[in-house]
Amino acid sequence: MNLANTEPRTVISLQNVDKYFGEFHALKKINLTVAKGERIVICGPSGSGKSTLIRCINRLEQHNSGNIIVDGHELTDQVKDIDAVRREVGMVFQNFNLFPHLTIVENLMLAPRLVRKTARDEARKHAMKLLERVRIPEQADKYPSQLSGGQQQRVAIARALCMNPAIMLFDEPTSALDPEMINEVLEVMTDLAKEGMTMICVTHEMGFARSVADTVVFMDAGEIVERNTPEEFFNNPQQQRTQTFLKQILSH
Amino acid sequence: MESLTGWWDDFFWGSLIVVEVFLVSLVLMVLFGLLGSAAKLSNSKILQKIANGYTIIFRGTPEILVLLLFYFGSAITLTAIANIFDPSIKFIDINPFWAGSIAIGLVVGSYATETFRGAFLGVDPGQIEAARALGISNFKTFVYIRIPAMWRLALPPFGNHMLSLIKDTALISVIGLQETMFVAEQATANTGEPFVMYLMVGVIYLSFSTIITLSVMGFEKYGNKHLEVGK
Amino acid sequence: MNFDFSLIISSIPQLLEGLGLTLQLWFISGILGLLLAIALMLMRISGKWFLYAPAMIYIYIFRGTPILVQLFIIYHGLPQVEFIRESFLWVVLREPFGCGILALTLNTGAYVSEILRGGVNGVPKGLGEAGAALGLSKVQRFIYITTPLAVRLAIPAYSNDVISLMKSTALVSTITLLDMMGIARIIVSETYAPYEIFISLMIIYLVITWGTQKAFALFERRMSRHIIQ
Ligand SMILES: Nc1ncnc2c1ncn2[C@@H]1O[C@H](COP(=O)(O)OP(=O)(O)OP(=O)(O)O)[C@@H](O)[C@H]1O
Ligand SMILES: [Mg+2]
Repeated sequence: MNLANTEPRTVISLQNVDKYFGEFHALKKINLTVAKGERIVICGPSGSGKSTLIRCINRLEQHNSGNIIVDGHELTDQVKDIDAVRREVGMVFQNFNLFPHLTIVENLMLAPRLVRKTARDEARKHAMKLLERVRIPEQADKYPSQLSGGQQQRVAIARALCMNPAIMLFDEPTSALDPEMINEVLEVMTDLAKEGMTMICVTHEMGFARSVADTVVFMDAGEIVERNTPEEFFNNPQQQRTQTFLKQILSH
Repeated sequence: MESLTGWWDDFFWGSLIVVEVFLVSLVLMVLFGLLGSAAKLSNSKILQKIANGYTIIFRGTPEILVLLLFYFGSAITLTAIANIFDPSIKFIDINPFWAGSIAIGLVVGSYATETFRGAFLGVDPGQIEAARALGISNFKTFVYIRIPAMWRLALPPFGNHMLSLIKDTALISVIGLQETMFVAEQATANTGEPFVMYLMVGVIYLSFSTIITLSVMGFEKYGNKHLEVGK
Repeated sequence: MNFDFSLIISSIPQLLEGLGLTLQLWFISGILGLLLAIALMLMRISGKWFLYAPAMIYIYIFRGTPILVQLFIIYHGLPQVEFIRESFLWVVLREPFGCGILALTLNTGAYVSEILRGGVNGVPKGLGEAGAALGLSKVQRFIYITTPLAVRLAIPAYSNDVISLMKSTALVSTITLLDMMGIARIIVSETYAPYEIFISLMIIYLVITWGTQKAFALFERRMSRHIIQ
């Protein structure tokens, strides 16, 4: 291994990012850098701005000040091709957001066909490979409404992977699921992590955070309160607010 | 515009007739709508059938056909009845005001039937149960929980029904009611300016529609004011 | 007065002679009205004031006035206007049929555009965001995600409007056209049997309404098979 290259490359960096919804200050001077291959888990109480933060990264929300740089592109109004950045960043939503009028495999083929102009057969082949990866190739020709929540979320992960993104964002991917389905989704996410995918994941699954994350970020009231390795974060939280939050969440 | 000179008061009286027809048919619409929805929600199969027949017929045929059927039909029926008593009567003239008001009240009432039915069924049964669980009497639950909830559900479509009513009043000129369309026809015959005259009618109706729309919006705002908090 | 049942049956063939005209008015203005509605809807959601303001005013005027008034302005009023008689529009407006089509089209366009807008607004925002997150452009999202779902959402309301339009075609009998309603009025004035004639006409309209509802219900069921909310 070439030691000179082990310095990890920064793929996402946020500097002094502020976000307002009208008067409401949703993100306050956020600073965060993510290295290639890094796995970050974001947690924090409801309304603390976790979704807003990751939605700013693929510009589903527009920040008001500060800089966000994703894979070398700064996100501004002038970004000519925000769609190009979005292709580099896959996103998985809390409530799946599968396209209900398309079959599972069509859900996966849509973006490659439209954006990359991939040929039909090739797109389908790639889609099937991804469905195998999330362990539901047999559901390919069903419609989303015919699948369980856990299956739908695995399809959503496969769909986000179909553009071969360098970065994956997850916004509470398991919180809309029945308890018995949570694990099948977390397993797929763990697989992804093992393959070296850069991941930012909003979740309250602390087991997943402990075993997969490199870094845990705790947010409250629009601020990053604490950021640490999982061991330190869980065993030795520094801030009062973190301790209170952990007490609440671990007492469940 | 000067061609309107001399016709302003005719248009005014015509508008007044529009308002009168509107008010009468509004009452009838609410009446038919409530009766229809009550019948549809009742346990009686016969009442349900009658109400279904009512909505199917009046929602599926052109308003002008209902109007003409009503007008000529009742005229001929009444003449026949009158003939039993006095064979010398040739023809009883039906008042187009009443024939028209009843006809459009019936037509729009068939739409209101569905609105009221939907509003009644749309009230969350959990709210009713919650009130019961708190020991609130049936009557008070009806007045303080069910009626306000129904009101909120029914108001937007009810506003549309009122707009239908006001616009349908224009049809009654076809059977000779002397409302604004009729005035425009006469004014046209006199002045040879149909464009101005019918445009005037359009402006009058647009004003009525605007008044109705704004009042419904006001009521809606009033009815929903508690719901906006916290959204 | 004697109610003549046989007249109900025997007048039907005569009334059906107007069916062709009724259907022509219905289909032609239905299709033109849908095109107009799509244009108005796109203007409404464009987010540009010089597009949505005119569309809003148009919709406000045409939904706020009786279609009979619109028809009379077009049929009686417009020919009075000099430059219209000299323009290409005169080809359409010279004939009552053209006036009927124009009035019905302009009217239904206003109503349907609001229905379409309702469909577009009813598509869950998350689906558009999912498309955006995949890198689909705004236009691609509109064509491949919003439109197919909006169409499904709009079908029930749209079918009601198609039936309304069919009922409105009967108004052309007031501008000398002999659609089914126009023929019925002539027969009634000759036979003086309003019940029988108008009831048979009612039956014909009810059959058309019923068939239309069935067709749309079938269409909706096929389109929305997999979309269970
Ligand atoms: N579009 C919006 N308009 C106005 N306020 C918003 C909007 N989106 C979010 N907010 C507000 O911003 C704050 C942060 O929201 P966000 O969704 O990021 O929280 P979160 O940490 O993801 O919470 P949760 O755990 O409930 O998902 C909340 O107070 C929310 O009410
Ligand atoms: Mg959230």
